[in-house]
Amino acid sequence: MGSVFSHHRTNADRSARDRSRHKQKIEKALKDGIHDIVADESIIGQDGKKKIRIPVKGIKEYKFVYGKNQQPQAGSGGDADVQRGQKIGQKKKKGQGQGKPNKAGDKPGEEYYDVEVTLEELAEYLFKDLELPDLEQKALKEIIAEKFKRKGYRSDGIRPRLSKKESAKQRIKRKMAARKQGKIKIDPETGEEIFPFIEQDLRYKHIAVTKKPVSSACIFFIMDVSGSMTQNKKYLARSFFFLLYQFIRSRYEKTEIVFVAHDTQPYEVDEEKFFGRGTGGGTKVSPTIEYVIEQANKRYNPNSWNLYAFHCSDGDNWSSDMEKTIQQNEILKSMCQLYGYCEITPHDEIRWAGSTALSEAYEVLEDKSFKVGHIHEKSDVWKCFKTFFGSKISLEK
Amino acid sequence: MSKCTLKDLQFWDDQIVELGKKRQLDWYEIAYETCDYHEMLGAMAYHGMPTHYNHWSYGKSFEQQHTHYQLGMTGLPYELIINSDPCIAYLMLENPMYLQILIMAHCVGHSDFFKNNRNFAFTRADTVVPRMRHAKKRINSYIEDPNIGIERVESLIDACHAISYQVPRYPMDIPNLEENYEIFRQKNLQSLKKNKLDLKDLPYEPEYDILGFCAEFGPDLDDWERDVIQIVRDEAYYFMPQIRTKIMNEGWACLQHYNILNELDLPQEYHIPFLKSHNQVVRPHVGRINPYHLGFHLFQKIVERHGYEEALLAREVHNDESFIRQYLTREDCEELNLFSFSAKDHGQYEVDDVSDNQGWEEVKEVLIGQIGANSIPTIYVDGVSRRNELVLHHEYDGRELELQYARQVMGHIERIWGHDVTLITIIDDAPYEL
Repeated sequence: MGSVFSHHRTNADRSARDRSRHKQKIEKALKDGIHDIVADESIIGQDGKKKIRIPVKGIKEYKFVYGKNQQPQAGSGGDADVQRGQKIGQKKKKGQGQGKPNKAGDKPGEEYYDVEVTLEELAEYLFKDLELPDLEQKALKEIIAEKFKRKGYRSDGIRPRLSKKESAKQRIKRKMAARKQGKIKIDPETGEEIFPFIEQDLRYKHIAVTKKPVSSACIFFIMDVSGSMTQNKKYLARSFFFLLYQFIRSRYEKTEIVFVAHDTQPYEVDEEKFFGRGTGGGTKVSPTIEYVIEQANKRYNPNSWNLYAFHCSDGDNWSSDMEKTIQQNEILKSMCQLYGYCEITPHDEIRWAGSTALSEAYEVLEDKSFKVGHIHEKSDVWKCFKTFFGSKISLEK
Repeated sequence: MSKCTLKDLQFWDDQIVELGKKRQLDWYEIAYETCDYHEMLGAMAYHGMPTHYNHWSYGKSFEQQHTHYQLGMTGLPYELIINSDPCIAYLMLENPMYLQILIMAHCVGHSDFFKNNRNFAFTRADTVVPRMRHAKKRINSYIEDPNIGIERVESLIDACHAISYQVPRYPMDIPNLEENYEIFRQKNLQSLKKNKLDLKDLPYEPEYDILGFCAEFGPDLDDWERDVIQIVRDEAYYFMPQIRTKIMNEGWACLQHYNILNELDLPQEYHIPFLKSHNQVVRPHVGRINPYHLGFHLFQKIVERHGYEEALLAREVHNDESFIRQYLTREDCEELNLFSFSAKDHGQYEVDDVSDNQGWEEVKEVLIGQIGANSIPTIYVDGVSRRNELVLHHEYDGRELELQYARQVMGHIERIWGHDVTLITIIDDAPYEL
């Protein structure tokens, strides 16, 4: 009885189908867990092609397993000298730092995959299934600008638009015809043909006016960095800004960002300072809004730029400043495609009693181009985003 | 490292077969298939089955193994053999010749074990390959059926996989529960006083075959759903003996390859690397139990203490648990340097007992609690309530269920059963209902 040998009959790549199904599930998990991911990445300075590795929780296959009151386990000591009561290593701790879920928790068999995606793909996952019906069109309405474009030739026109080439062609045509008919005069002195340009030869470049949507957007990210804005709040704000940035960027050819941090005064800063800025001082909103309006008018003419402004704050403001803030916001609102205000109030951080939250004061402003959202915890980031851009959710609220 | 040809393999196989017979082994003929690394991983993802139904979890398994090998977290796959008649085994062409020889001898050991160990008596090794093939065809047809579709099939398989270990553990042929219950009813007509099977009375005794119970009595299941459940159930029955004999199976195969290769007239350039690989396979994994290590050690000791005949007998009648109960002595515990440990406060692991005079028996008990199917909680169907609610019980042995997992699994069982499901277990020494 000998054995039989044969070459394995390859049925192509047999697990390909199951792998792609698995990949789809991972993508879904990626999307569901997105708020865990976005906070770690720098918002800009990435060209969209940059690959980021994202730890994604494995698609778990649950079974009945033994749990917490783990009875003793047995193991082999190899060559080591093992004594009773000897300490032999630490159980893995759970609750790793934010945004660092790449270490396994102590739940049995936490699985993590590193999925490598580009920022573009990430944005695609994020927004692929987002239903953005009516509101998107309005919120993302494009501004129509007049553009001048050359379009053919005409026999009338102004001198500067004279096309020498086309005019010369016309003369040649006429000359050929005249030669056939023998109508060309010959200069008796030189023996050359005399055939000058005439008015009818001249051709002028025609310029047509076309209407083209402007495909550039500018986003003002405004954040309260006063004393009450804790690290946790900023972290939430950052996740939120990331989503907004990725989304708007995916809709326009060109996107510019202005970071404006404020306490009682506005400071235009770069991204790093924006999120890293030390906190301190009180809060006054109106000077900042004023500043944004001024900058927008100066640098990003609302007629040719799609303006967006998003303000993240914990809702504090000087009560004496409230009236002016509302006024300024009316102006800013009218300039923007969408102006969003997001109030960040983590569950475990109590607001100062007695002060009015901006979100309450802003209620009067709320309409299609002014949105108010709330973030209490990480999972709200995505919900809040949908409040801003998807109509379904906002109606529910 | 020289690549091997089929002719080389045949040459060595002839000698291995001779030696195997001399060692009184009686095995299913082995059909070796040579393959490359990718095909090997592909086969591994489907437990070595030449055909197997599709499910995303096998894609996941492939990716995981692929990543592990790429990162060098695990050695290259050595052997892969399935319990079928003839046994199908895979030889990876990338492996050097000495390793192929080792693997072939190892496979003879496995094949002999499959054929002779009593736990495998009902696995129907001769039909497993066509069974899997038909299962794949059927599941594919459900996926392609426009009235069913991949989402529904997939979620049902997800659910079935969640309780696929919940089948009876002792060796038995896959039963027809309805017939069994009917026979029971006939025998107990007087006490039951019913003239036909009534779901409210079932099961008459604790039913460990949850999938089987759902497939036959699930109140509102479609035919295709019953079939999918049966497919997963059939595979669960098929694999349960392998779960219960991992240590013996590997130990037996190691014993055979070790002795066969030592008896083979191996050239020097094969012999040293063979010893190296062998030692690699049977080395202790510190802090854990390496089944190859433990099984090989015990079988060697049995041969030493009681002779080869006893070893042949042991491979026939035991499972891991009974095997260790019977043969693991204090001397072995000490030699293997076994110890028990548990997590104390703050997650600090501490050694509880070592294999000395006072400790070894405790260590042995702990070991037995974690081998074979003992690491899987035992759940059984206790009954069906009037509202068609399925009542499950957990056989509590001092170890609590991980509730987060259990809740997820409960959702899966509800998907299968189609009605509410309750599970009764013990948490913090008090009954707990899920």
